Amino acid sequence: MSSKTMSKDLYGDKRMGFFIYLFVEAIMFSTLFATYIIYTPPQMGLYPGELFKLHTVVLASVFLLSSSGTLMIAEKGLDRKNARMILTGLLITFTFGATFMYFEVDEFYKFISEGHTVAKNNFLASYFVLVGLHASHVLFGLGWMIVLLIQRKLLPFNLFAEKHRIFNYYWHFVDIIWVLIVIIVYTPYLF
Amino acid sequence: MEINLFGKLILLPTDVIAAWVLMIITGPLVLYWLTKKRAWPVIWDYATSTHHRKIGTVYIIFSILFFFRAGVDALFIRLQLITPENQFWVFQGDKYNEIFTTHGTMMIFFVATPLLIGLMNVAVPLQIGANDLAFPYLNLVSVYLFVTGGMIFFAAFFFNAAPNAGWTAYAPLSTSTFTAGPNNNYYILGLQVSGLGTIFAAINMLVTILRLRAPGLKLTRMPLFPWASLITSFLILVAFPVLAIALLLLQFDRQFGSQFFMGELGHPVYWQHLFWIFGHPEVYILALPAFGIFSDIISAFSRKNVFGYTSMVAALALIGLLGLMVWAHHMFTVGLGPFANTFFAITTMMIAIPTGIKVFNWLFTMRKGVIRIQTPMLFALGFIPTFVMGGVTGVMLASAAADMQYHDTYFVVAHFHYVIIGSTVLGSFAGIYYWYPKITGKMLDDKLGKWHFWLFLIGFHLTFFPQHLAGLNGMPRRVYDYTWEDGVFVYNFISSIGAFMMGASMLIVLWNVYKTHRKKEENAGADPWDGRTLEWSVPSPSPEHPFEKMPVISRRDPLWWAKLEKKELPHTENHRASPVSVKTVQPMFLSVALTIMSFGFIYGWIWMQILGGAAALASFVIRAFNDERKPAYEREEMDNEQ
Repeated sequence: MSSKTMSKDLYGDKRMGFFIYLFVEAIMFSTLFATYIIYTPPQMGLYPGELFKLHTVVLASVFLLSSSGTLMIAEKGLDRKNARMILTGLLITFTFGATFMYFEVDEFYKFISEGHTVAKNNFLASYFVLVGLHASHVLFGLGWMIVLLIQRKLLPFNLFAEKHRIFNYYWHFVDIIWVLIVIIVYTPYLF
Repeated sequence: MEINLFGKLILLPTDVIAAWVLMIITGPLVLYWLTKKRAWPVIWDYATSTHHRKIGTVYIIFSILFFFRAGVDALFIRLQLITPENQFWVFQGDKYNEIFTTHGTMMIFFVATPLLIGLMNVAVPLQIGANDLAFPYLNLVSVYLFVTGGMIFFAAFFFNAAPNAGWTAYAPLSTSTFTAGPNNNYYILGLQVSGLGTIFAAINMLVTILRLRAPGLKLTRMPLFPWASLITSFLILVAFPVLAIALLLLQFDRQFGSQFFMGELGHPVYWQHLFWIFGHPEVYILALPAFGIFSDIISAFSRKNVFGYTSMVAALALIGLLGLMVWAHHMFTVGLGPFANTFFAITTMMIAIPTGIKVFNWLFTMRKGVIRIQTPMLFALGFIPTFVMGGVTGVMLASAAADMQYHDTYFVVAHFHYVIIGSTVLGSFAGIYYWYPKITGKMLDDKLGKWHFWLFLIGFHLTFFPQHLAGLNGMPRRVYDYTWEDGVFVYNFISSIGAFMMGASMLIVLWNVYKTHRKKEENAGADPWDGRTLEWSVPSPSPEHPFEKMPVISRRDPLWWAKLEKKELPHTENHRASPVSVKTVQPMFLSVALTIMSFGFIYGWIWMQILGGAAALASFVIRAFNDERKPAYEREEMDNEQ
């Protein structure tokens, strides 16, 4: 048995499997984008432009998009086997992701407390399902980062690096979905 | 029946009571029998092992269980329809809606799909020289998700809440305005959970086939069943996520007050699009693996290589591709307009071309072959004419103008039973008879197998051929009654007789399995059929990690040529790493968590949703800290330091 290349082979399997999984996710999100496009703008109720706030979108985007950049620090750390860079990268990314979640929750809370709920019309319903699914992905990613931070010392380096890299793909993917959300959900009604 | 419980009046239909009574009587008997046979260690082994053969066996056993359940539903349907103005037991009105919905949904999602995934699990890794599927742990999770989803759906009937909006769950009927109560929530959650399992199984299968093949086994040297599995898995990746989202939106409509598919704001047709974007590829998800099984069996039992291998693969790919572009042929009567109808009519008719290529290739494979007619081959021979008939009615239905007449009649019912039973069910039976020695080490009795085949095939044609005529005479599907004046009595009467013949043939299968396992026969050997592909080079039943000495492949049907040249297959020690297997109860925990969460959503109990959801998320964390690859990676680190 060639156990010396084991981690390389198994990581290759896992990466391909995870990319296929992200393809599945992409199909799910594109179905939701289609739903949003079909039902927006709504026949009754507020026009999306009257609801969305430019500064929330911009602030949320700044934090989430730059978190993809700060994750690169951790990725570099993985390549150089530099524990400090990994830790720094993960912590900054986590903070930025959490800040993004703050803006998301705040926006949802405002909409709901002003009575713009799922039951109001289908624009809001598809907005909540789509953006809510994305937000739950970010939340899941935050939990994942906590697990990674604990695992840093517990696992053999190859296994930790593998799990970390898979997480990086996930986080970048969630970021790309956010870019699409900004382009398809917000931009047409903000300007 | 009315029951007065704690001052509350509960109405229970007698069939539900009968089912409970039957379960309370037989349940303890089965448990007693299992204990007496000392079967619990074996069951525990199968419930916690990540070995692909064992997981495949679990898939097959549960699908067969659901097959009997949904088959009994079919017999009740046929009993209700046996004569005009019939009143069989309770199966009229809404009860009839429940029974045909359960029959259809269960047969498609919990019988046909998992039966084929089970056979893929058993056979594909062995056929391509992989020691296991790429992700053994995920494989166990998949099978648990399927069983959990199936059981949630199965339970609906026992709580007198079987789904009742048809297996297509068309909106707005399936929304809470028209079908209140938990019934269709069972449909949503059952399919959601098992659908996730199907997606994971497809990912696993794709990576296995693309990355774990034996050295030298190029894609172009692969047998056709792995090829069919590869393309099927791709179709699952495209189709099932759409279903997942459609179900999610439907759940929002039913439980959280959105109006995607109903009311003045919603579009019922949008549900139909989403459902059929999933639903039509699903038909090919069911058919393609069966094509693969038949290709391998016909080649093995004719002692010839597959005729037109390249065109066979191309046809599979073409059917898969076209299968993604035909969904609206289910919606010709919706009024999508002449352009859409023409487009979808033409793409649908085009599918007949690659399918025809396959049919002729099967015939040419047999031509001048040394044909042995044993049970698996018999099923393959029965499949070809049956499936061709289904294909011909398919082309008839594809002409949009004529479809206005056929739509929602028994003609359609006859058509899809011809294609799905013709391909998937016959294919699964053939596959089970063919690989049974590889699964258990024993051969099923050939004579009883032939009885099964003939009784099933004759019963099948008796059941479904007259339904064409009933449909052409105007009998609509999904009705529980018709009159003497309708002139469809004879067709229905013959149909009901045929259904019972099919039912009887399944009892022969049970007898056959019992008979095979009763006597302590010696092992059937590695190669009982004189096979051509790699799975027959490993012992039966297939051991865990059978390819410790990895074979090197230099052509198609390697085992056959090695046998002809009286040489061993060449081996290599130097090959890629195998997946790491493990014994684990974690998927069992996940399954319990998802069951709790699903019932929370079905009945709207928020504490159960939170409890189940939290437990399901916790299982991710548990998994993260109990990775079976940790010791393997630590060993590697030590090896590399030396």
